[in-house]
Amino acid sequence: MKLQHLSEEDLILLYYAEPGAPGDAKAHLAECAECRAAAASLAKSLTLCNELAVPERSTEFGRDTWMRLVPALALEPEPKRTWRVPVWLTATALAILLAAVFLAGRFSRRMATPVMAGLSDRARERILAIAVADHLDRVQNLLTEIADDQGADAQGFADNRARAEDLVEEERLMRQSLVARGDTRTTNFLDEVETVLTEASHTPDSASTDQVRDLRDRIEAGSLQFKVRVVESNLRNKEQKL
Amino acid sequence: MKYGDDVSPPELADALDQARRGDRDAFRVLVERHATAVFRLAYRMTGNETDAEDMVQETFLRAWREIRRFDGRASFGTWLHRICANRTVDFLRARNRWQPTISTGPDQEHDPFRNMPSELPSPERSARSAQATALLEPALAALSEIERTAFVLRHYEGLPIDEVAGALGVQPGAARHSIFRAVRKLRRALEPIGSTIL
Repeated sequence: MKLQHLSEEDLILLYYAEPGAPGDAKAHLAECAECRAAAASLAKSLTLCNELAVPERSTEFGRDTWMRLVPALALEPEPKRTWRVPVWLTATALAILLAAVFLAGRFSRRMATPVMAGLSDRARERILAIAVADHLDRVQNLLTEIADDQGADAQGFADNRARAEDLVEEERLMRQSLVARGDTRTTNFLDEVETVLTEASHTPDSASTDQVRDLRDRIEAGSLQFKVRVVESNLRNKEQKL
Repeated sequence: MKYGDDVSPPELADALDQARRGDRDAFRVLVERHATAVFRLAYRMTGNETDAEDMVQETFLRAWREIRRFDGRASFGTWLHRICANRTVDFLRARNRWQPTISTGPDQEHDPFRNMPSELPSPERSARSAQATALLEPALAALSEIERTAFVLRHYEGLPIDEVAGALGVQPGAARHSIFRAVRKLRRALEPIGSTIL
């Protein structure tokens, strides 16, 4: 029986011993000289990739890395337990912080009260950048968990739904502050994020596995995790410059 | 406390446990053990030693902040590589370019012994490596971030495609197709020497 030749994709999966190649691929390879030649050619190319030079590090590199890290670690608090902190608590703290910061900004223009004297526009902008970046970090964690949890159905989705609800609330507070500062680009991005969070927060108990999968596909199709990481990274850079 | 490659697996497990409770000395054991492997990944992704070393720092700083979230489902090394891949993708995306270092030997470094390989390769091996590197660096540079990262994680780091997908935050199908595209492009780039060098 003459089988269809194996595609390059099939050969790549076989080379890396990944699942997904046709079940009879190995048997076909044993019979078909043409596919064997193609597999050998692929193996040659991939072996050649191993020649890519990576500069050697000395045996002291680990110690040097640690010595460079020490000053930064000295500024760090003990490792945090972010996944155990209820999001509602974060949202509440954030609301108080943002309210204080922006009310302070408003009053400072009108009344020049002592509390405003030490809080410059730059400082308020920095605090907002930190708050939005931290928020996006939490969004990213949630999106990653939704995307990673391949077997989750709607019931297993309940915790994610609650977190999404809290993040939507948090996001609305952010938006008010961003609008007040005229930051339309970040505001528009948060709108895009909120669409997905709202969808996650509205996933009903009766939702099918397919519906949950649809949500994951939409997150992936919009490259949302990637965008969130980029915006968060840009905000961290901005925060450091301010 | 012992550091570096002399640390046994049980001692590493113990260090991880203590580091998760906030013990910085224990975290040092993990840093010293994994720094070189993280550097290799970062270098293959950035093509630049300085950037790669910065990514190593970022990776361990992030790992320290998040270490209590490490749940042991993957190995600690895999978890670190995920962090490194994510941070490096962010970095490359923000910079929007890939900058290979022109390698002219160890004289470039302040410390002349810093980058000395532990074993000198044969002249033939060196020539082959130089030829392949000359073709691969621009070819890797031309890949998209996701193609390059997926290929580096699968080919050089040996992560199964499912784990590559997890590291990138994409579906396994998307990771698989990124690897296919990367292999196709790299094979095309290697064609000039592919038939003669091996």
